[in-house]
Formats: sequence, C-alpha cells, structure tokens
Amino acid sequence: MIESLASLLMVTVVLVLGPYVVAVLDRLVATPTGAMAGDVWLGPLSRAAWLLTQQANATEAPDWQAWRLSPALYLALAAVGLAVVPWSPTLIATDLVTSVVLWGSVEALATVVIFLQGWSANAVLPLIGAYRYVALGLSYILISMFVLIGVALPAESLQWTQVVTAQESLWNVIRQPLGLPLFLVVGLGLTFWGPLNLADSTDLAGGTSAEVSGPSRLAWELARAVMLVAFSAIAATAFLGGWLGPWLPGPVWVLLKTLAVLALLLWLGHRLPRVAPERCVTLMWVVLLPLSFVDLIWAGVLALWA
Amino acid sequence: MAVSWLRQLAARSRVPVFPVWGWHDDALLARLALSSQVELVDSPRHASVLLVIGEIPAALRDGLRRLHDQLPAPFAAVWLRGAPIVALGAPVQIARDDQLIETLVRTHRELMLGQRESAPRLLPDEPPNPWKGLGDDGHGGEGMMGGNPYGRPMAMNMQNDLRDGLTLDSLTFRLGPFFPLLPAGLCAEVTLQGDVIQSWETRHAALPQRLDPIFHAARQHPVSIADLELARARHHLVQLYRALHLAGLEHVAHQAVSLSQRLTSSSRLDGLRRQLMRSGIFRLAAMDGVQLDGELASHLGGPAARAAGLEVDLRTNDASYQSLGFRPQYRTAGTTRARWEQWLGEIKQSLQLARQAERDNLHTANTGAVETPRGPWADERPADGSALLDEVLPGLEWDEAMTLIASLDLRAVADAPREASA
Repeated sequence: MIESLASLLMVTVVLVLGPYVVAVLDRLVATPTGAMAGDVWLGPLSRAAWLLTQQANATEAPDWQAWRLSPALYLALAAVGLAVVPWSPTLIATDLVTSVVLWGSVEALATVVIFLQGWSANAVLPLIGAYRYVALGLSYILISMFVLIGVALPAESLQWTQVVTAQESLWNVIRQPLGLPLFLVVGLGLTFWGPLNLADSTDLAGGTSAEVSGPSRLAWELARAVMLVAFSAIAATAFLGGWLGPWLPGPVWVLLKTLAVLALLLWLGHRLPRVAPERCVTLMWVVLLPLSFVDLIWAGVLALWA
Repeated sequence: MAVSWLRQLAARSRVPVFPVWGWHDDALLARLALSSQVELVDSPRHASVLLVIGEIPAALRDGLRRLHDQLPAPFAAVWLRGAPIVALGAPVQIARDDQLIETLVRTHRELMLGQRESAPRLLPDEPPNPWKGLGDDGHGGEGMMGGNPYGRPMAMNMQNDLRDGLTLDSLTFRLGPFFPLLPAGLCAEVTLQGDVIQSWETRHAALPQRLDPIFHAARQHPVSIADLELARARHHLVQLYRALHLAGLEHVAHQAVSLSQRLTSSSRLDGLRRQLMRSGIFRLAAMDGVQLDGELASHLGGPAARAAGLEVDLRTNDASYQSLGFRPQYRTAGTTRARWEQWLGEIKQSLQLARQAERDNLHTANTGAVETPRGPWADERPADGSALLDEVLPGLEWDEAMTLIASLDLRAVADAPREASA
C-alpha cells in the first residue's frame, strides 16, 4: 500500500517538476552557444507565468472541445507512460504484465492526439503540421515496435520489471547496440523534438501550435515536456538497466539515467537541423526500419544462443 | 490593486516580439536576435509586442490591421521609424534605435503589471465573409459540392496532382504580407494538395530593401574596399541567419548573426562553416530539388546568379579589384545548396579582400556601377524578383519551398540607403 502511494507520488512529482527540469536542461544545453539566452533558472517560470496571463485566443470556427482536450490528452498519455516506469523492483505505479505493450499504445495514440491539436484549430499551418505527423508517425511506431520486441526477447516477458531484471548480467545498450540509437530516433519523433520537429516546426510558424496562445499553449508545452521525460525514463528502463547500479538506491539510478537520456535528446535537438519530411520518410523506411529488423534478428539470435 | 505574484513573475519574462518590417534593417534584426531580453517569434499568437519598423505602404495596412488583431491580449504595438496607422489607440513610438530594447522590455513589463492597457482591436470580431446559410449543409452551394462557405472555396480537388498522381483535396489560402518566412510585403495566393504546392500566385511584391549606405556611396565616389566587402559579408551573414533559423539550427543562426555584428577584416568564417558541416544540414535538409535556370538566375543577379553558373560580377571591371586578383566565385548547380555554398564562399572571399584592401588602403576605382549583395546596380537598381516564385514553387513540398525562398534574396533595392543605427 505504502509503495503504491509512493509510486503514485513519484509519477505526480515527475509530472509537476518534469517540465521545469526539461526547460532548465534545454537552456543549459543551449546557453553555451548563446542561442537561448536569459535567466536559466527563473526563465522557464517567468515564461509560464506570462502564458498564464495571456489570453487563449480563438480562431474562426475551431473545434473547441478537441482543441482544449488535445493538450490534456497528450499529458494523460505521458502520465500513462510514467505510470509503467519501474523505479525499483517494487516501486512502480502499474506493474502490468503487458506494460511494454501499453507503452507501444501510448506511442500510437500520440498520433491521434497530435493530429487533433493541429486539426481542431481550423487553420492552415496547424493542419499541415497535423497531417505531417500522421504521415510520419507510422514509421516511428514501426521502428519502436521492433526495438521493443528486441528488449522483450531476453526477458521473455512484456513486463518492464522483467526487462530490467534481464539486464542484471548485461545492459541492453551493450547487448543490442542498435537498440538505443534507434529508440532515441523514436523519442525525437514521438515528442516532435529537434531534427524531427516536423509538426510544430519553424517552416509552419509553429505548426500545430501556431494558433495557440496563453494557458492552452502552456498546457501543450508542458505535455510535450512530460512526454519527453516519460520517453527518457522508458529508454533508461529498456536499455540502461533501469534501477540497476551500485551504491545508490534504485530510484536514484533511474532518475540519473533518465536525466542522461533527456540531456542527450535535448543536445541532439540543438545540434541537428530539422530533417526535410521527404528525407525523413526515406531515412525511416529505407535505413532505420531495416536496421530495426537487424536489431530484432540480433536480439533473437542472442536469445536462442543464451 | 495589488499586482499578483504571477504578473510580477510574468513581467520578468523575455519579451516575445513579432516584428513587421516596413523598412528592413539587418543591423536592427541582429540587435533583436542577439538580445537576451527579447525573443523573436514566428507567429503573432506567440507575441506580447507587435513591433512595426518603418512606414507600411497603404496597400498593406489592411494586412497589418488583421495581423495586429491576432495578438492575444494583453499586447502592445510599438512603432519605430514610422507613424502609427491612424486607428491605433495609445501606440508606443520610438525615435531612436538605441531605445528599442529598453522600450520593448518596459512596454512588456507595463502590460504584465497592468500599468498599460492592452491595445484595442482595430477590426470587428467577425468572419471576413458572412456565413451563406445556403445548401443542404449550409456550405453555400447546392448538393454536396460547390459553394464558398465563408467566402472560401471548398477543400476539393480541381487539379491533378503534380507529384505522384495521388490526387488529394486541394486547399487554397492567402499567405502574407507579413508571414515571417517570406520577405516583408510579399503576399501570395497558394493552393496546396497535401503539402505539395499546386500553384503559387504572387499578389504583392516584397517591399524593397535598404542597403548599407556604403553601396549607395560607392555609386557616387570611391569608397574603401575593406568597408564595402565587410558590408557585403554582413549582408550575406544575415541572410544565412534567416535560413538557419528556418532550418531549426538556432545555435548556428545565432553564431552567424553574432559574427555579422562583430565582423572585422581579421574575422574568420571557419568556425561557422565547421558547425554547419558537423550539423549535417546539407544532407538532412531539402536543398537539391530545384535548379534555377540561367534566365531566372540572371533576373535575380548577385549570388543567386553566380550559384547557377553565371560568371557575372561588376567587381571584375574595377581596376582596384583587379589589382587584388579578384575573380568571381561561382557554382554550377543553381540549387538551394549551391546558393548556401555561394554565400559561404563569398563571405570568405569578402573577408580576404577586406584584409588585402585594408593593408594597401585600397578604394574602388569605378563609380556609377556597383555590385551590391543583391546584384549588379549599374543603370538600374536590382529589381524585385517575387514573381519568380510563381514559376519555381509549384510541385515543391512546403518545407522545400520555404527553404528555397530563404535561399533567395528577392527584394528590390530601395532608392534610399539604410539609416545609420544609433
């Protein structure tokens, strides 16, 4: 009972503090080049306060319900993702036997929610952003599916706690060297961050959120940030041994590994240009999807050999 | 009434500014881009302050009014170097450039603290075209098809697909005149099929650009080649900044605009070029799609023409440049990638020329004709090239089209030079 409450508390804390950590880390990663100047620590809070004081604007005949609901749904999906992250063998909000599958469904449903955000504004640029995500989302999800089956094979289970336990002898990042790089691409796509930010991109003046202001925009940004944290925690679980590690308590290891993945994603976001949609499709289907097959075959052969 | 802690906190945020350029000014853009207190945004919905620089021609003022009303409250309009449009209530006017950042910060702060009223709306809050109420579904026509609900055509296909034969519903809309990814003033009627541009019809040309005064002075009397070449390099660096911002490479964009502001003859481009190469932008961005043919490229002149293989540069006729061993650089492909490489090559060449000329204190020998960063200016100023987009954009995906536009300098050269920044 106490552990259930503690795990729910962990999810709540990450939901509340995660966006701030993302904003600070993003500024720290960007600041050495001066690309995102301003107060690193207070900047995210003052920006959030500004968005809270700003009017949530209207467009001409939007789908109000869907427009208001989509940030909340994206946030809810991120919360579901966080709920299946095991912070220790017992500290986990929902230790489903199919938690790996549940995470896969989060990735699939994100496509619907992101489309909803762009479509419901009833404006041109958000609509293009929405369609773009739908066009590309399938390729991210397919790669993710093969990579996740790869990490489930040595565990002989679709449960994240078993996936972590199976890494006691060797972390998946070493056992399946293609897995983590491929999964990071999925993460950038799922959260439409940095080089794979094609839904909310500069060429669409903000894409699905081009017409959003005030608290609605803040909610959308918070949801994106929490999804980034949730993805990083899942990546740490799937490839970096989750709670496994010497000296420190398990939850601290999960936290440190999550922060490391998060920092890497944010760094990639600042160092790589946005990939052109047409090249992105080619890259996904011609290069990365076959690589994910190779990753799966590799994982299967190792599992048989073991 | 006591100001809430939320508003106190909001007043400390960076000022989100949506700039509208009546008179474009590279130095001012650089100042805004480099300020730690200001954030330039791409959507009016994301701004707290609408900054209008220079006079807005009468033909574009309706567009400005519509843009003005898109900013969410509380917001303010700040006017620099131009008079506010008549109907605007309580505008903020700035006389000197050096007051700009301070005024933007103060205005934002006053808005947040409730010390300044939000700017009033200029237009009635109603659809631009009334709802027709005709047809089975109120779509303005008969049966399932036809009609112009809200004055706009239905999103239904009337044209064949240009790309792969997969016909989708087409969507027609007006873009501009202050869409941040287009040159200011450029307005077009665009039809998309999916994200492929089916047609692009330019309805209003880009506003002319005001060049550095040295290019105007060079037509009157000999000027220092070092100063002329540094001004040219600055111009190309700001162009590069815009293209890099569009590509999502903010840190390299920041580096480019920062270099433009501290540029001297001893500056080096190597760091910036290295960052660009490492980022993989030439492989990841859509830069190889469309080739500008010789005719279109010669119409634009300048780096765009040289990137398409035309060895045209008025500097070759100047005895002082000849004494420096000047030979114009050129590429052959005429693609977006070639124009980026041309910019980088010409910036490096300008820095080399500036170093050599500074050593010998060389001045231009020819007057009356000058090679501006936009193209040759002999008898006539470089003319607007906006209409060229009607030919080159159909068939391109949106991202590729925007990347292509950012690689072209389409604006005509104005008869007056840029004002010296205070």
